[in-house]
Amino acid sequence: MTAFRNHLGFLRKTDDLESLERPESPSPQVVAAEALRANGPALRFTTDGSALGLASGIYGGVDQLQRRRRYPWTRLGIGLGVDRDPAYVDVLEALLALGRRLDERDVTYVARAASTTDLNVRDLELPTPPDETWPRFTLGVLSVGADEGSYWTPIHGTVIDDRTLRARVPDAITDQLEQGDAVSVALGVPSEALAATYLLAVTDRLSTPIEDRGVGAAVPVVPTAGGVVPSSAEVVLETTVADQQPETRSEKREFWERLVDGTTLTLEVDDVFARDDAVVPFTPLGVPLSDDLLLVTLATATTLFDRVNSYWGVSPVEWLLLPVEGRLGICFVATETLYAGFEWQLANFLFSLSDCFDKVVVVDGETSPRNFGRVLGDIWVKAHPSRDWLFSEPNAPSARMPTYHSEGDTGARLYVDATWDPRWDDEYIAPRVSVTDSYPPEIRDAVCESWADLGFENDLEGDDLT
Amino acid sequence: MAARTFREFLDVLEEGDETNSITDEISWDLEASAITMLANEFDDRIPVFERIESAIDGARLVGDPYRGPRHRPWDRFARALGLEAGLSGPAYYEAVIDRLRSSHEPTVVEASAAPCKEVVRTGDAASLLEFPWPYIHQGDGGRYANLATLVAPDPDGDWENWSHHRAMIHAASQASVLFLAGEQVPNLYYYEYERRDEPMPVALAIGAGPAVEAASRMWIPVGRSEAAFAGGLQDAPVELVECETNDLHVPASAEVVVEGRVLPNERLDEGPFGDYFGYMNGPRRSMPVLEVDAITHRRAPYLPFCVEGSGVGYSRNSSSTFQTAASGPDATLGLRAAGFDVEMAVPWDFTSRTVWVIAIERSYPGTLHELANFIFTTWGMLHIDFFVFVDADVNPLDPRAALEAIALHADPDRDFHQFGVERMPKVPLNIYQTPDEKGSATVGTSKSKTAKAYVDALADGSRPVQTIGDRAARERARDLLVEAGVDETIFEHDTGGDR
Repeated sequence: MTAFRNHLGFLRKTDDLESLERPESPSPQVVAAEALRANGPALRFTTDGSALGLASGIYGGVDQLQRRRRYPWTRLGIGLGVDRDPAYVDVLEALLALGRRLDERDVTYVARAASTTDLNVRDLELPTPPDETWPRFTLGVLSVGADEGSYWTPIHGTVIDDRTLRARVPDAITDQLEQGDAVSVALGVPSEALAATYLLAVTDRLSTPIEDRGVGAAVPVVPTAGGVVPSSAEVVLETTVADQQPETRSEKREFWERLVDGTTLTLEVDDVFARDDAVVPFTPLGVPLSDDLLLVTLATATTLFDRVNSYWGVSPVEWLLLPVEGRLGICFVATETLYAGFEWQLANFLFSLSDCFDKVVVVDGETSPRNFGRVLGDIWVKAHPSRDWLFSEPNAPSARMPTYHSEGDTGARLYVDATWDPRWDDEYIAPRVSVTDSYPPEIRDAVCESWADLGFENDLEGDDLT
Repeated sequence: MAARTFREFLDVLEEGDETNSITDEISWDLEASAITMLANEFDDRIPVFERIESAIDGARLVGDPYRGPRHRPWDRFARALGLEAGLSGPAYYEAVIDRLRSSHEPTVVEASAAPCKEVVRTGDAASLLEFPWPYIHQGDGGRYANLATLVAPDPDGDWENWSHHRAMIHAASQASVLFLAGEQVPNLYYYEYERRDEPMPVALAIGAGPAVEAASRMWIPVGRSEAAFAGGLQDAPVELVECETNDLHVPASAEVVVEGRVLPNERLDEGPFGDYFGYMNGPRRSMPVLEVDAITHRRAPYLPFCVEGSGVGYSRNSSSTFQTAASGPDATLGLRAAGFDVEMAVPWDFTSRTVWVIAIERSYPGTLHELANFIFTTWGMLHIDFFVFVDADVNPLDPRAALEAIALHADPDRDFHQFGVERMPKVPLNIYQTPDEKGSATVGTSKSKTAKAYVDALADGSRPVQTIGDRAARERARDLLVEAGVDETIFEHDTGGDR
């Protein structure tokens, strides 16, 4: 388990975090959005001690449309403790483990790192987006305590006044809440806690206490007036559900709200706990590559990856990826083709498991998820424009992420088969052109060994050249 | 001022510290191309191989000299043309379009003033085997001259066509040239010269400079002079010189000129070759024979070559760069000239010839169908299979925006449109067809057909936001990030989605 501030430290060590003083203007959300748009580093906004430190782009912030040595899953993978250069599937499996139900509880209770403060919630000076009135918090965890344990859900919202929050939470949790109930909000939690919360929310598994999930064993917790929260949380707000609940809905949504029905909740803040020099993550909403989008795409990919590989009795799917650039509107899957027609089954199985997308691209299992550029080439050169672009009749339930459907519509589905036909003889299969495929090992090795001596500048290590 | 010769272009690169002069002796046999492919993959400096094993007259190789930087593929080409530094992609497109609209007719110089005549060898003295043509990929059918401009005449007129064709070296005086029926010069050869049983005089100009190379890659209409468009690109006339053994004119500054004839009804094997799809295409097929009559060249000539197949995925090479930096503006101009309200036409970033992204207004119902039909029946029909149409305010140079458009705005029911299922012509180089479908290996011209499709990914007004804050706030944000130590070039790489 990595405390949020330690996660920031790891990002700094890998030269993937820049610090800047929190500006008066423009709002930190604008700065964060521009850094995301440019595939920049994660950001740490420092202060003179009068308010919270802020961090953005901590989990995602990277696209795969250019060759990079960081990938969309790199920052989260580091946060999950997978590796300094985490493999994609390892990140999926780490996430999967956090969401798994445990046979026996194995919870560690640790003293709360955050201290009692005299601050009210406005004193925290959470950032206000441009053209908005109230400071906004994102990437939070709501904890609701019950006799059988605590329930964690994502939460985001706004600070209305000194002690009032107006927040969006999944409907699944509000069934358990009544006016006057104590609930806690944790900000700046370990990656495991935040990512697992998103995973459980988007897969509709919020009805099990977190003590009975993998995340409960992975993240040390501390009891609060609400439920338990991660003990290392940077800020904890102990609140009660207000007497009056508004009939409002925020125009700005975190990405999980596109998949999960939510409720607006007014919370009265009773106590504010904060660590010394507390720093909390935030994400600008709606812009490309935002952290909330990344967390949802990885949670969805994790679930689908697990389900398709649990279905056939073998694990033919090498990886499954919902690119953040596609905002859950398209799914890529790399697989071994078990038999002729398998790719049709696989695509339609995925359509049946998710209502987000209506396009699936199937590529050969040997393709690396790190070399997504190659995948984006193969769609058009390996898939025959008529035979391998396959459309259903428009009688399927319409996908919810694309923009073209109206409520109640049915729609068509498309899968692109960019795999080799398993019926082809090997002689039909065109060898790839690549460093590894186009040169004998003795030449490759000699060139790589002499690379720097030949006067080239880039470090060859760590790249996937396949 | 534009770099008018290949050597001036190398100077431009060198001034930007973008070449890597390698003085170790390097073999033409896979080693030079392996180094070049790695440089392409890592966006490293362009390798100039000063000492090549067994090369005569100090001949040198240059690996993918026209490769653009990964994030701004037009950048080096813009400097080669003497355009303003730091142009955005859309601004570069408009600048090139302006140049193409202002063509300059070429001038003809005497042989004594032509650098390509510094050494003249004719007859038996002219041997292809004395040059260090690279063996590019393991499994290739042979060594290739593949970064060259082929000059060929129209048998019934004065037109001299420039186009790009690769040549596989077979012997001192023979090479096979890839002539795919449907392209301009092969059509002339197969349907004019060969039917008359006449050899086609040709010249292969290697290292002829950026504007010449670019013009030979463009879709210039039949009968129009590529030389004049090249003059427009470099904003000065191209200097030509007459060949030694035929009436053709070649760029006077070329590093090497191979003069010869494409013989009628004679074939030699060509390929397999690791081609622009990123795969080895095969089988070996029979292609017309280039019989060499003369070779003229500069002293210590540079032989640029392209590691084809490496310009896919994240990597760039000369061919993929020419597609983006030359063919893109040319196609944009061509479509506008045809009356279509096109903002930009840009090859897909990850495979340079098979799919294009076109930003366009839907001016009237049926616009996209009509445009796709126009393109597929005029230019691009042999190589391009797909068009993706995006909103006019989307920058098609930004692959993130294009992928978002496909994912969110292209309805599988209503927005994917196929043309003439498996009735459209197709080069036999692609890999999704079986060898039978590609045509017989013994037949010079391809019989293969395929389907073509276009994808309507216009959002019609419902695109997700790409930014927050007004322009001033965003600019201030970028300034703050740079002050904080964020590499300024990150923002140059960000093409931003919206134009």
